[in-house]
Amino acid sequence: MESLHPRVRLLWIAQEALAAIALGVGLAAVDRWLVDVPTVALGVVVALGFVLGVAYAVRRYGVWRFEIESDALYLERGVVTFVETAVPFVRVQHVDTQFGPVERVFGLSSVVVYTAGSRNADVRIPGLTPERAERIQDTLRQLATESDATDAV
Amino acid sequence: MNRLHPLSAAAYALQYGFLWLSVASILTLLLGGIFDAIESAWVSLAAPVGLVAGAAYGIAYYYRFEYGITPDTFDVASGVLARRSREIPYERIQNVDVRQGVFQRLLGLAVVSIETAGGGSTEAALNFVSESEATRLQHQIRTRTAEVKDRRRGRGRPDASAADERSPATDEASSDAETERTSAATDPDEPAPDDDGPTAEPDSTDGTTTSDSDPVSDGRDRVAGPDSRGPRREQLFALEARELLLYSFTSFRPAAAAALLGLFFFATDLAIDLLVSAARPFGGPANLGEGSPTSYGILTVVSVVNGVVTAYVLSVVYTFAAYYDFRLGRAGGDFVYERGLLQRYSGSIPVEKVQSVTVTANPLQRLIGYAGLWVETAGYGPESDSGGSQSAVPLADQGRVHRFTETLTGVESPRFRSPPTTALRRYLARYAIVAALVVAAAFAVAQFTPLERWYLAAVVFVAVPPAAYLKYVNLGYYVGEGHLVVRRGFWKRKTTVIPYYRIQTVSTRRTVFQRRLGLASLVVDTASSRSFFWTSPTIYDVDLKDARDVHGTGRKRLQTALRERARADDSGLTIDFT
Repeated sequence: MESLHPRVRLLWIAQEALAAIALGVGLAAVDRWLVDVPTVALGVVVALGFVLGVAYAVRRYGVWRFEIESDALYLERGVVTFVETAVPFVRVQHVDTQFGPVERVFGLSSVVVYTAGSRNADVRIPGLTPERAERIQDTLRQLATESDATDAV
Repeated sequence: MNRLHPLSAAAYALQYGFLWLSVASILTLLLGGIFDAIESAWVSLAAPVGLVAGAAYGIAYYYRFEYGITPDTFDVASGVLARRSREIPYERIQNVDVRQGVFQRLLGLAVVSIETAGGGSTEAALNFVSESEATRLQHQIRTRTAEVKDRRRGRGRPDASAADERSPATDEASSDAETERTSAATDPDEPAPDDDGPTAEPDSTDGTTTSDSDPVSDGRDRVAGPDSRGPRREQLFALEARELLLYSFTSFRPAAAAALLGLFFFATDLAIDLLVSAARPFGGPANLGEGSPTSYGILTVVSVVNGVVTAYVLSVVYTFAAYYDFRLGRAGGDFVYERGLLQRYSGSIPVEKVQSVTVTANPLQRLIGYAGLWVETAGYGPESDSGGSQSAVPLADQGRVHRFTETLTGVESPRFRSPPTTALRRYLARYAIVAALVVAAAFAVAQFTPLERWYLAAVVFVAVPPAAYLKYVNLGYYVGEGHLVVRRGFWKRKTTVIPYYRIQTVSTRRTVFQRRLGLASLVVDTASSRSFFWTSPTIYDVDLKDARDVHGTGRKRLQTALRERARADDSGLTIDFT
């Protein structure tokens, strides 16, 4: 089982921090226009949100695992709901590597695997170095074409 | 390349004419309000110009819209200024639907839509073609698809040895063989009484080891009935008057309630007047605005009853009109169905595009021993009721539907396993929380209104144990030889049969609460359309070990089933399932 790149923790912590700041801004807006929110309470909520966010990000990293098995891509993830997913290679429609602006700052990228399914139609592996992401994309593409039986639907 | 029916030129001309007329008028009025140079009175000039230009555009659209059947693809080229030409390979076509509204039926026109997997909208919509052209198209596409398939099969079949490997274990005699026999006895209302295939079928499950598919496939090559439209079309199932009425009266459509609400907002005053006058004989207020709390209470109760009854009547009428004269047939390797009283729907579904099969029944239907059978495809039809699901048998006797399902998929009679009783504890806790929320809401309302005795709301706790129990007993799953069968839901119980080779992904999910109890849910995803009411089949709240077992089994059997299918080139479904 392979873990994600450790740096993804920083990425997620940054995202959580952004969320905590957004929460603080929202509370400030409530304070300004609706009801008085004591500044202390505001600070405490934002700090609490940040701490929880950091804990969540760290735990999320600790839980995330994936592996390219003989017949399927296998993933484990989820803090609140722990999900183990198997994506058989025969079902892979196409594979993307993506990296958004924030990911780029941290030098990370993601692999997105698409299937024709309805619920887990796109499966994303975040927090990979660009080289690793490209290698995974290549491997998956090869395995998908090798195991191609019909039209994958 | 062909053109649409000439009348569609008129339809497009009208449509675009009025569209452009209104756009031109509104623009003139709007700009006239902003700029002094533009007079609002120019509307009388702009409107006819818009109408003529729009009509011209509509006619141009008609002349620039072409479709054609080529050996490998169905082509559509359209667009007046920006051209789009689209080629749809036959083997990718999921279903072909033909729709006829009331006026279209009078004029002998039809709308043909062609769906492929994926994509949010119809890939090709032909507004309008003549009825005969619609039938011709449906037939042509079907034959071409079959040809393409034959060609592919011819290429990939050096060893056709392992055919019919998946003949189901019929000697694992059905646990409900009893019901099968009784239903066979009540079968004189079989739609095709001249055919002894289906009535002979249940006997084979009684212990003799004849294969499930064999007795059906012979003796079936008769010529189609007089009602058929295509040349080779056999009837599989027709909804009888009795079944249609039962189906109309026992199904409830949320859309009916939505339509009623829409009507209410559209004609609020009239609706309120009607409601007040309906409540008056029962002691409601004489007029809105002059009444006592009691009379308002009566008004509320009577109005709710009125609303529910009206919604129910609407739902019955809608279902009756939509499923009037439902018939399902086969033409080659396709299911073809048609239905509808005012608006006529017909469509075809290639049998090898069927992803899974679901038996549905609500409590009322279960009470009278009836159920419906649906097939799911990956195609998306905006006007189909529930995403990619199509009704194969809207309602029929439970025994018959079970037999149909078994013949269609080749699944053995499932012996369902229940989740452990810890799951029941979970539902008790869950519904207790819901009940507590209801009481809390009542308390909150009591703080702001003169409502007293909010604690009486605690009576909802009485419903908690039965609700939890009913949820629990309707859950079940069965890991079969070639299929996974998942049953869930009380209000609309769905029993889904998923062939292993249709599995897309499998996921084991555990929430924090489930982890505490050592439970897990298994989501088995197939390539059916995403829809709000039709979620992925899920085995809820089984022991983690069992969930992992089924997860592994599903993965393993997907691989073996795919290998076998590649060898045998067998769709795994028996089309003559009735």
